[in-house]
Amino acid sequence: MFKKKITPRMLAVLISTDVLETFTHLFFKKSALPESALQIDNLAGALIFLKAVFSSPFLWCGLVMVFLVFIIWSTILSRIDLSVAVAVCSFSYILVPVTSVVFLNEKISILRWLGIVFILIGIIFVAASSKEKIEGRL
Amino acid sequence: MKANLFFILSLIALTSICDTISQIFLKSTINSLSFNFSWHLIKFFRFILKIMLAPLVWLGLFFSITSLCVWLFVLSKADLNFAFSADSMHYIFIALAAKFFLREKVGWQRWLGILSIIAGIVFVSLS
Repeated sequence: MFKKKITPRMLAVLISTDVLETFTHLFFKKSALPESALQIDNLAGALIFLKAVFSSPFLWCGLVMVFLVFIIWSTILSRIDLSVAVAVCSFSYILVPVTSVVFLNEKISILRWLGIVFILIGIIFVAASSKEKIEGRL
Repeated sequence: MKANLFFILSLIALTSICDTISQIFLKSTINSLSFNFSWHLIKFFRFILKIMLAPLVWLGLFFSITSLCVWLFVLSKADLNFAFSADSMHYIFIALAAKFFLREKVGWQRWLGILSIIAGIVFVSLS
């Protein structure tokens, strides 16, 4: 076993879990959205909220995604540091605005571009500081 | 409104901490298995099975579910952009926990990267 710089393939896998995770959050938001009017101030209220949320198909789609992400994520963690994997997964903050420009023709403010540049620089720094565990050939 | 904001922020901190704990449990279990990835399916399934049978991972799952419940509640009250930007504090929790509990070497380069990512997330959500 030896260690080498993080590979482009590992970065691609990390970004793909990121995309799946973005879908998970969208599913969860979609399942929680109709219940925003609910007053939750006691345990009974919380139970009613949870019952409504768990009967939504979107929540179950999200949970299936969570299991898929769990398997890929475990594989990633068997090769690289946790503090690297988590930081590189901030790529979705770039992916969502950029896809909204490309597919939805949305305009992005200067501040948001600045934020995207900061995230990108951060990911490059974190990736550069890491080593990947490699056994034999990929 | 101010008190409400503080309440939401502390809930987001709670989800971040629960998430960090479950990630640390998962990573320490995986570290103890010292698995080397290959396309050997049986070895791979055995690896996944071993993870799923580890008590620490189940304890981590409990924290994940707590985090998920609180997160769903936060999402029903707060704006997605705001929630995500405040949630970026978990990068610091993860880095600190990985440094002290997993003995990962978090050097200045990695800290700089993490701080840059957090600044970026705050900028993205401000706009």
